[in-house]
Amino acid sequence: MDVQAATAVCRDAFAELASPACLHDPYPFMRWLREHDPVHRSAAGLFLLSRHADILWALTATGDAFRGPAPGELARYFPRAAASLSLNLLASTLAMKNPPAHTRLRRLISRDFTMRQIDDLRPTIARIVAARLDGMAPALERGEAVDLHREFALALPMLVFAELFGMPQDDMFGLAAGIGAILEGLSPHASDPQLAAADAASARVKAYFGGLIQRKRTNPRFDIVSMLVGAHDDDADTLSDAELISMLWGMLLGGFTTTAATIDHAVLAMLAHPQQRHWLQRDAAGVKAFVEEVLRCDAPAMFSSIPRIAQRDIELGGVVIPKNSDVRVLIASGNRDPDAFADPDRFDPARFYGTSPGMSIDGKIMLSFGHGIHFCLGAQLARVQLAESLPRILARFPTLALAGQPTREPSAFLRTFRALPVRLHAQGS
Amino acid sequence: MRVVVDQDLCGTSGQCVLTLPSTFRQRESDGVAEVCVATVPQALHAAVRLAASQCPVAAIRVIESDAGDDERGSAGPPPTTLEAERHAARDQRHPGGYDGTV
Repeated sequence: MDVQAATAVCRDAFAELASPACLHDPYPFMRWLREHDPVHRSAAGLFLLSRHADILWALTATGDAFRGPAPGELARYFPRAAASLSLNLLASTLAMKNPPAHTRLRRLISRDFTMRQIDDLRPTIARIVAARLDGMAPALERGEAVDLHREFALALPMLVFAELFGMPQDDMFGLAAGIGAILEGLSPHASDPQLAAADAASARVKAYFGGLIQRKRTNPRFDIVSMLVGAHDDDADTLSDAELISMLWGMLLGGFTTTAATIDHAVLAMLAHPQQRHWLQRDAAGVKAFVEEVLRCDAPAMFSSIPRIAQRDIELGGVVIPKNSDVRVLIASGNRDPDAFADPDRFDPARFYGTSPGMSIDGKIMLSFGHGIHFCLGAQLARVQLAESLPRILARFPTLALAGQPTREPSAFLRTFRALPVRLHAQGS
Repeated sequence: MRVVVDQDLCGTSGQCVLTLPSTFRQRESDGVAEVCVATVPQALHAAVRLAASQCPVAAIRVIESDAGDDERGSAGPPPTTLEAERHAARDQRHPGGYDGTV
């Protein structure tokens, strides 16, 4: 791809990210952006930061130099906001809240996402992993191709969510079908039909959660929804049913498309770099290093979907970002910035061996879970799902191979898959 | 060395607990981080500085104590908030924070 010619003048990075060349491989363009237009202003006036240091600074400064849009302001940033259910739900999610409301709501949820709580889920996650691999084994052993994305990568986080939310598995599979459409509707480049499809799917999710909340209120169990219903009932002034629905909707959106994509990327890395498989065959630190490197190389959410509004004029790299501008961060680019990660396009788990999760041996932050007050609530849940999956996939199917080219979702925003066909190598071949 | 978590700032990410489970823990009620040692053993000084620099909301403050500080782990009483504030004001050096603003 001739990046220089294609983007000698980049009018709109968001449009460029939606181009066929970028859908195939967005990293050459991201490199061009970092080198030539690191504080990019899009045609619509949104700013996009692509250098690691700038991104980390902006994420850290959220709640200070940047804030989420106030509810009444949303129409200014999203002209279609007033009429769109998806954008209204987004406006009420945790990711759009400012302190102190954000702090309070986040702590209500955090009690179910402590490191200990997530660690307690390990046996459940391991059981689901084993069951999904068992389910795939007969077809694979008959020599057939299996879609690992649908049968494993997407199924695992969906089943984990069903467990967390106290929902029947079939209900979760039903809801999950609409999540991709909602995510696309929230992209800054979404068309009207995309937003309409997102709103239809959001309406189904909203109706389902409305019913689920009523059932958990009548018959509470040990799950997140029951816990949040309890918090709501004790404190009706500050956590409405609408906010509760937005929170659950936000967890679904943030939770499993991204986790599924990272499982897909991890399996692809395993197949593309057989010499790196040893990381998955030793101790937990080796598995962790592999997982972190997969997360670094392919951030599933390439840029931030939530607006960060500049509270004042901000000068960054010689560019003035005017007060009240909507600033987004291209975290997939920050993860490939050579100023943070040497030889950034090389897959090398050694960068993360023996370090604290999310930090390289050079002390650089891996950005895929964000940073600052909106740091991914489900980061550890995702890490545990990956750590419980990858060694088992490799041990169970050591001759796993691609059965065809993986198909990506045509998204400028999410680096996710539609299908990942795999098979086992024939014996002796 | 001592370490304190600003519990008003804490973003409940749990990163510090992942990094140093012997030094930090999360409150069951809301996920807010707490320090579970009075003083940080010498062997963990570098790791605690790293944990502080990695905290997504910069809620961890390392208080480098004067020479002669005891290294008896959790034997001593935890510092009070006020004492910690005084130490922080005197000793805290921001660990290489990036300042992109003007």
